Amino acid sequence: MDTAISLNKVTHTYQANTPFAQNAIDNVTLQISKGSFTTIIGHTGSGKSTLVQHINALLKPTEGHLEVLGRVIDPNTTNKNLKAFRKHVGMVFQFPEKQLFEETVLKDIMFGPKNYGVNDGEAKKSAFNAMELVGLDKALADKSPFDLSGGQMRRVAIAGVLAMNPEILILDEPTAGLDPRGHQEIMDLARYLNKNKQMTIVLITHQMDDVIDYATNVIVMDKGKVVKVGSPAQVFSDPKWVYGMQLDLPSSAEFAQQLKKAGVNIGQLPLTIDALADRIVRLVGKGDTK
Amino acid sequence: MKDIVQVDKISYNYPDQPLLFDQLSLDVHEGEWLAIIGQNGSGKSTLARLIDGLIVLNEGHITVDGLQVNDQNIYNVRSKIGIVFQNPEDQFVGATVEDDVAFGLENQLFDRSKMHDIVEESLKSVGMWDFRERIPANLSGGQKQRVAIAGIIALSPKIIILDEATSMLDPRGRKEILELVQRLKNENHLTVISITHDIDEAAGADRVVILNHGEIIDENTPRGIFSHPDKLRQIGLDAPYTSKLLAALSKRGVSDEKSYMNDEELIAWIQQLVSTK
Repeated sequence: MDTAISLNKVTHTYQANTPFAQNAIDNVTLQISKGSFTTIIGHTGSGKSTLVQHINALLKPTEGHLEVLGRVIDPNTTNKNLKAFRKHVGMVFQFPEKQLFEETVLKDIMFGPKNYGVNDGEAKKSAFNAMELVGLDKALADKSPFDLSGGQMRRVAIAGVLAMNPEILILDEPTAGLDPRGHQEIMDLARYLNKNKQMTIVLITHQMDDVIDYATNVIVMDKGKVVKVGSPAQVFSDPKWVYGMQLDLPSSAEFAQQLKKAGVNIGQLPLTIDALADRIVRLVGKGDTK
Repeated sequence: MKDIVQVDKISYNYPDQPLLFDQLSLDVHEGEWLAIIGQNGSGKSTLARLIDGLIVLNEGHITVDGLQVNDQNIYNVRSKIGIVFQNPEDQFVGATVEDDVAFGLENQLFDRSKMHDIVEESLKSVGMWDFRERIPANLSGGQKQRVAIAGIIALSPKIIILDEATSMLDPRGRKEILELVQRLKNENHLTVISITHDIDEAAGADRVVILNHGEIIDENTPRGIFSHPDKLRQIGLDAPYTSKLLAALSKRGVSDEKSYMNDEELIAWIQQLVSTK
């Protein structure tokens, strides 16, 4: 698979050259493949948000460099000429609804494309497409975004990013504070964009079940360093290590651990509810399991 | 048991919006942990704001610890209630952690000589005394909520309302805050009203009320509520993990056990199945 994002010994120091200097990310080298669904996990303060803000050059490395869709970003990169590049790297921040500002939903979503010089007609078309993608009713187009519910506002903000049709979509805890249905809808949207629009997805999450249900690749961070990269199964294979990173296991693995402690010989840790149920069925020796 | 909050046939709508509550009634028993669950927009947070008198009802009455919520009683009512909001960022005023906790006391014209002791005691009770000179903005989400809770405990309320107070925290932070509130509840004989869409938070309550489009559609113990996972899913909430696993097992013909079990019970049940096969 082609590489979409490649970091080479990237270090970012906040407040460099002061007594408060702090390495938020430290000598990070990694690759993210085109078309992958990559999740970044790690304890609060491990450097996840700092890392992804390099991908659209919002932050520049203090040392090292990265290459995103063929574009090199290093400590000397200036904001000049970055606009065309940033169009391809969509970023949905935490609580993106806080960034809404326009009078109507439609205007807010059109802002991005228009900012890139797209004419009104085209921008409107992109905006309506994006509204459909995120499941916003067309009737909401002329409403003020501030009259909508929290979940709807979040969709407007995400639609504003999708209207630019980026190749890479970065989502920083996009479902924080949403109810379970809202959560699932946003996650399913990310999967749809990945599968059907070939978007490369980079997702920061605290929810290990989402890693299992949606991701192809996982990056684990701790104290500014990348400490593990692999498939969800590889990353969660060693419960002790996972707990040591102050992370949780996916629900099914956690439950299986408890069964193990209670003396049930569950074998290798199952990661999904179906895998766990199959395992139990085999132990009980009933049912139509293969 | 005495009812510390009585919501009696209230009606309410936001300006230019249809009626959200129409003749809603609900009692909160003194000393209980009541979870009010429902999806975004179900009216959970609005109910909390009405109880605290932050917004005003159209019709009906709300009584808090014997006092009717109205203009005349509003300060007395609020002195009995502490609310922890969803976003800790929105509730800080002090430059440091200890200033922030002291602010509420100053506001209540507390005796200065006692203030220092109360701030110390409150911060210690939430495990944030070592952070007293830190700037609230630089704390983690869970630490911020601890400081917010310290600010509330300092004012010795009778009721704590958690308004989605854990929804922005990671799973660990969430668990720690719930354990903390449980401990403070026991130590200070508090009543807790937790407004949430997190099923695990509801599982720890004494009683659960489901609110959907401004109506109470169910009220029971967590066990009673969780025995109908389909109902929860219908209104956009999640079923508890144990219910999902039971459903997956019954789909595989293991058993048609339908009643809700918590973690320990389900583990014991599986243990027995495996050993008696």
